[in-house]
Amino acid sequence: MPVQLRQPGWYRAAAFTVLGLAFCLALTTGIRAAYGYDPLFDFDAIAIVSMIGTPLFFLVGLGAFDYWFYWAAGKPTRAEDHSSHGANSWKDYFKVNTDHKVIGIQYVCTTFFFMLIGGLLAMMVRAELATPGSQFVDGQDYNSLFSVHASLMIFLFVVPVFAGLANYVLPLMIGAPDMAFPRLNALSFWLLPIAGILMSISFFMPGGAFASGWTAYAPLSTTQPIGQMCFTIGVQFAGASSIATALNFLVTIITMRAPGMSFWRMPLLVWANFATSLLVVIATPFIAASQFFILLDVALGFNFFNATIGGERQGNVIMYQHVFWFYSHPAVYIMMLPGFGIVSEILSAKSRKPIFGYRMMAFSLLAIVLLGFTVWAHHMFVSGMQNWIRIPMMVTTAIIAVPTGIKIFSWLATLWKGVLHLDTPMLFSLGFLTMFTLGGISGVTLAIVPFDIYASDTYYIVAHIHYVLYGGSVFTIYAGVYYWFPKMTGRMYNEAMGKLHFWMTLIFFNLTFAPMHVVGMQGMPRRVADYAEQFAPWNLAISIASFGLGLSTLIFIYNMVNSWRNGPKAEANPHRALTIEWQVSSPPPIFNFDSIPTVVGGPYEYGVPGAVHAVFDAKKPEPVAVGAPAEAETAEVGADAGSPEDQETKD
Amino acid sequence: MPAALKTKRPRTEQRTMEAASIPALSKPADHGHDHDHHGPPEAHNSSTVDRQTLGMLLFIISEIMVFGGFFTAYFFIRVVNGNPWPAPGQELPELIAGFNTLVLLSSSLTMHWALEAAKHGNRNAMKLGMIATLLLGSTFLAVQINEYWHLGYAPYDSAQASAFYGLTGLHGAHVFVGLTLLTFATIRVFKGHFTPEEHRGIEVPGIYWHFVDVMWIIVYVSLYLI
Repeated sequence: MPVQLRQPGWYRAAAFTVLGLAFCLALTTGIRAAYGYDPLFDFDAIAIVSMIGTPLFFLVGLGAFDYWFYWAAGKPTRAEDHSSHGANSWKDYFKVNTDHKVIGIQYVCTTFFFMLIGGLLAMMVRAELATPGSQFVDGQDYNSLFSVHASLMIFLFVVPVFAGLANYVLPLMIGAPDMAFPRLNALSFWLLPIAGILMSISFFMPGGAFASGWTAYAPLSTTQPIGQMCFTIGVQFAGASSIATALNFLVTIITMRAPGMSFWRMPLLVWANFATSLLVVIATPFIAASQFFILLDVALGFNFFNATIGGERQGNVIMYQHVFWFYSHPAVYIMMLPGFGIVSEILSAKSRKPIFGYRMMAFSLLAIVLLGFTVWAHHMFVSGMQNWIRIPMMVTTAIIAVPTGIKIFSWLATLWKGVLHLDTPMLFSLGFLTMFTLGGISGVTLAIVPFDIYASDTYYIVAHIHYVLYGGSVFTIYAGVYYWFPKMTGRMYNEAMGKLHFWMTLIFFNLTFAPMHVVGMQGMPRRVADYAEQFAPWNLAISIASFGLGLSTLIFIYNMVNSWRNGPKAEANPHRALTIEWQVSSPPPIFNFDSIPTVVGGPYEYGVPGAVHAVFDAKKPEPVAVGAPAEAETAEVGADAGSPEDQETKD
Repeated sequence: MPAALKTKRPRTEQRTMEAASIPALSKPADHGHDHDHHGPPEAHNSSTVDRQTLGMLLFIISEIMVFGGFFTAYFFIRVVNGNPWPAPGQELPELIAGFNTLVLLSSSLTMHWALEAAKHGNRNAMKLGMIATLLLGSTFLAVQINEYWHLGYAPYDSAQASAFYGLTGLHGAHVFVGLTLLTFATIRVFKGHFTPEEHRGIEVPGIYWHFVDVMWIIVYVSLYLI
């Protein structure tokens, strides 16, 4: 056997993929032959089994399971030897790598790739909606476009990109050399492109891509063509990836913090990912369950959602929505809390002030985790569920705005009389504050039952979700990517182009989504390819603005790619931040630290003379050991404290 | 491992040099690491809980929630829709399943016995305990499959049957995963890998096994008894 096929890598992965397809074909046909089913070769059956089985073969071929096979054979266990750490060329990013920094970059690049695909689909949706009537696609294809758009943006972009950013910076922030389970970390990354590819190739399935929205309500989704299974199975891979990463974050945060880093000295990004990971571990299994039901109903003829069997209403279709939203409402916090963490880091560092109400910021994160599980049925006010559930859900939904409000006001208080450095990450953070507040307010209006009944399934909902997910989450993602770009790549991004990107995004974002409130209130239904003549002017304007929004993304991509290749070298701490990841070189050394730092103070003591968050090699007085940056930052902070006369100390 | 490390060695060094704008970082630290292997620093242990154990406990929370989803389906089909349970003409063999429950519960005892033996360094008892656990677990799975075979109805015959097969099938899959993990542990037991100090290799799958057993009691009570 040639050596390429024995070593883990792409040759072996390709061979195993072919092997996997053959195995799934043989398995399906064999079982059908054994049971004597009529068409021996049934495309749908083979496709479903292949979509589950082949990716596992691919992962084995790529080498994601190599150690575990070695372990299962009873050979001596060995700690991860980190021989694969670091990346010297772009090719190293296409390997199973256990380095959290490499995995972080793999995550961010993969998710932005799928974000571009999802964005193109959105452009096609807007092209179709530019004028009334049918332009390019028919109804089913239109439904496919927005379904795949939403699924890619949610499961392949917003949820995992936060995992990627945190993968990179979180171990550095808490002073850990890597994540707790590096091999699991590598596996959970490689599960992700599989989900994305499954969802993307569904366009090539007979009958077209899945078209039941990202919610895939039963029984619509159990009666769709085979493309629906790409969603059902793809979500399982994305969900497994996100659960594994969340476990990893939780164990890392609990067991691997540097000495002196108590929970109340953790940066808020770490707090935010702690809260998010709790949500993922508890909630994500529910979407797995809901998609198992769909899969069992479609593939094996189960009757979870068959309300007509036996002449009685035996199956229950509302059950799908309960199980689905029990995940998917917490999921909106999974998509928002890490952004809260990013914004807390940036607002504090860029206004040179301690974060206001640090403990309340952490407590409000935990309050959102708890309350997030009590509001799911507010998505179902018009579903025909029991009426008595509505009022409690309305009340809890209104209450969950309180911890979010605490955060908004704490950020405002952090900015108050600070020295604002209005560079790109800060602009995106401020943009987030305003846009997310607008989205949050329309969210509270939707919590009110009578209003929700009126606005259900109109463009008001589309406006709301894009204000919280684009104006909220995506703005924080941009902020985070710009903020940590120097750390991740060792290069500076182009500030002017970053600002242009921000202003174009902000303006075209509002031009695109703000009018949707209006047409929504006028009654334009969402998820329909055609619309009444009266909405034509608004929709043309929205479509034109949305193309501008699409263009703004290209500026970002160009800035990132070009700066990574040709940008000026970044210094270790361009933002003069106190948290530990900025106290090492850019990019960080291959094993993060020579020795684990000791945390001696809070992470946000900006403007406090002499404040230090962490020191390296505290035992040695020699400044040669990495104690040097601690000194430098003391000087910096001292100089900084002089400028505003009313720099308050801590809250 | 040494061979693998050697081929990567130059890269590592080059990268460290390049990355280190702080001069101290490229200098090998003189505490703990020898000059030959400049690996990552040992992570600080900020918790008394073992990492693998904590990871397994968190994973079990996820598993409980998967079961929670399936119990929700069961609840909606049986309670919210008010369907008779089991569906008319579709009987559930409480007694055989009850016997099977005892089999699975006793496997938890033998699992615990094996772990205690590992803690006391009693290798023979450890081997016996693991083998007994594997046998009892396999018996449970065999009886369950045999029950499917003889029930006389399939998941597509009624929504109740779907819920029944869904929950017991999900649990059966967990028994299978548990047995697989325990088989790997048993191989190690027979190779003598565990000592009274280091026996996480049976402790962690053991936690999973106990979870599978406890979950069966809930499944059994709600499907067969109530």
